[in-house]
Amino acid sequence: METKLTSLDNYLAAGVHIGTQQKNADMMPYIYRVRPDGLYVLDVKKTDERIATVAKFLAKFEPSKILIVSRRQYGQKPIEQLARLIGAKAIAGRFIPGTLTNPNLKHFVEPDVLVVTDPRGDEQALREAADIGIPVVALCDTDNSAAGVDIVIPTNNKGRKALALVYWLLAREILRARGMDVEDFMPLEEFEGEV
Amino acid sequence: MEELTCISCGAYIKVGGGSVKFPCPECEALIVRCERCRKLGRRYRCECGFEGP
Repeated sequence: METKLTSLDNYLAAGVHIGTQQKNADMMPYIYRVRPDGLYVLDVKKTDERIATVAKFLAKFEPSKILIVSRRQYGQKPIEQLARLIGAKAIAGRFIPGTLTNPNLKHFVEPDVLVVTDPRGDEQALREAADIGIPVVALCDTDNSAAGVDIVIPTNNKGRKALALVYWLLAREILRARGMDVEDFMPLEEFEGEV
Repeated sequence: MEELTCISCGAYIKVGGGSVKFPCPECEALIVRCERCRKLGRRYRCECGFEGP
């Protein structure tokens, strides 16, 4: 199996393919197999293709109009690093209701696209994105529903290293799509959250 | 308000209020999804072959 963005070993070492013991029908096209212990394993090739596709997609938007959110702790450092590198806005931790829909709030933002780390944890952001009619990109594990999501990146969205690798690749590919030099791109360790 | 058709169900929709339109990540053709198809996570296929969500 060949992957475009990084080696298959890097994906496997980060555990990007590790799913859960639950599966959702929406995620069936991205599931590679079921292990004897009942764990669903994701197809890394599809993850690799989707990261490249999403990077191309996000590169078309004005950087300041991209909003990345993560309620999940291990996703918070990666999204902050990604936002800093590509010039986007990140909301790490609690997503205050009304952030996208209530203009009276001082932290009100009007993004053109939303990226969520976990559709279940970031449900409020997903709901508000549906209300204002902006496209949503979501990192989905085998147990996530694709409801409210426009483009899925099938990946382990719980692991520290998996989230770091996916966001690191996204950052690198977005910058590459914008025509920037990414030969000596920052080390992956700088995307990893604290244990 | 412009009237478009949903890529999944073909229904005429008015963009806004739950529905969405965005360029296809592969070919940049316009993808329009109605509120219902979005809510149900229905699959869509662009004419270039890109399948979502």
